[in-house]
Amino acid sequence: MADELELFEQGSDAGSDEVLLTPAELIHQLEEAWLNEKFAPDLLESKSEIVECVIEQLSHMEENLQRAKKGDLKVSIHRMEIDRIRYVLSSYLRSRLLKIEKFFPHVVEKEKLRAKEDPSALSPEEFAFAKEYLENTEMFLKNVTLKHMPPNLQSIDLLKSVPQPNLDSFVFLRVKERQENILIEPETDEQREYTVDLEEGSQHLIRYKTIAPLVTSGAVQLI
Amino acid sequence: MEPAEVEFLAEKEPVTVIPNFSLDKIYLIGGDLGPFNPGLPMEVPLWLAVNLKQRQKCRIVPPEWMDVEKLEEIREQERREDTFTPMPSPHYMELTKLLLNHASDNIPKADEIRTLVKDIWDTRLAKLRLSADRFVREQETYAKLDNLTLMEINTTAAFFTESLNHMYKLRTNLQPSEGAESQEY
Repeated sequence: MADELELFEQGSDAGSDEVLLTPAELIHQLEEAWLNEKFAPDLLESKSEIVECVIEQLSHMEENLQRAKKGDLKVSIHRMEIDRIRYVLSSYLRSRLLKIEKFFPHVVEKEKLRAKEDPSALSPEEFAFAKEYLENTEMFLKNVTLKHMPPNLQSIDLLKSVPQPNLDSFVFLRVKERQENILIEPETDEQREYTVDLEEGSQHLIRYKTIAPLVTSGAVQLI
Repeated sequence: MEPAEVEFLAEKEPVTVIPNFSLDKIYLIGGDLGPFNPGLPMEVPLWLAVNLKQRQKCRIVPPEWMDVEKLEEIREQERREDTFTPMPSPHYMELTKLLLNHASDNIPKADEIRTLVKDIWDTRLAKLRLSADRFVREQETYAKLDNLTLMEINTTAAFFTESLNHMYKLRTNLQPSEGAESQEY
């Protein structure tokens, strides 16, 4: 089981380089993605490669367990581990779906405006879900109310009526790679802006939009 | 995040157990464990330790810091200083709770330890409330939170960030074109 997995990962430098990961590192990356997704106010980049590799690991392990005899202590320990990983995996996917449902017009719009070479924020399945959700919502609004309205009130702009993710909201984070000169914007006009350095291992409370790129690059971990 | 989820994360912390059974090495996805031999101390993740204990298959060795004298010292230091002092484990509260609930017979002076950890926790949360209050009054937009544990942060995180968002909205009088939810459904 200690053999290394191949994982194609899209680095922030737009080129995709091949990274070798042990299963333990893979699970660790899934957990980090899970926490980031849980705490970030907007939808983060999809980690479909990690998700696929984890699913592969899980089904591989399930297969092995099918062959093992029941009631063995070993089997029950493996089962417990599988359950734990599956929990993280589904919680991760679920928190993404929740955000898609919450911000669906913006999510679909962003995906449409995305340049071909940029990595997608959605997996193909998530995109299909978002599109369908958008269509169904439009249909629902139309059938229930809009068509009974006077003609000049029958259209609705979902982009304007569904709130955007609040990027000004505060997040807690732990620093994985030291960062210098992070600009802190003042809350009121009397205050001045200033910069801080984020030391490795330190923890901070800060506005999400200030450090959003660092979450994507993996330099900080939301907690 | 729910406290149960923080506890879930804490269950990855390694603890030492003394098994009373033998078992070959197990190859878990998250790394190898074992082999287990009766009487030989072995490091396993907390979730496994608790499970083995429930099945009466092991004795748990309490972490080094789970000791009345050491905790008394930590409590005094925490009371003396205005800032947060470093904790012996990033999940000290969850470890204490889980180990005392499931393996109190393996931990000497379990009741005293429970009280001490509760004292430390209370002192730290009082500090946390004070600094949150100061943060809001001074209209800060940045804070450093070293030595706070995940569980401590999560006692107030959701409420605190939500309140800050609301205050920010009120203060900046967000323009209706973006923020208004006139067609809420």
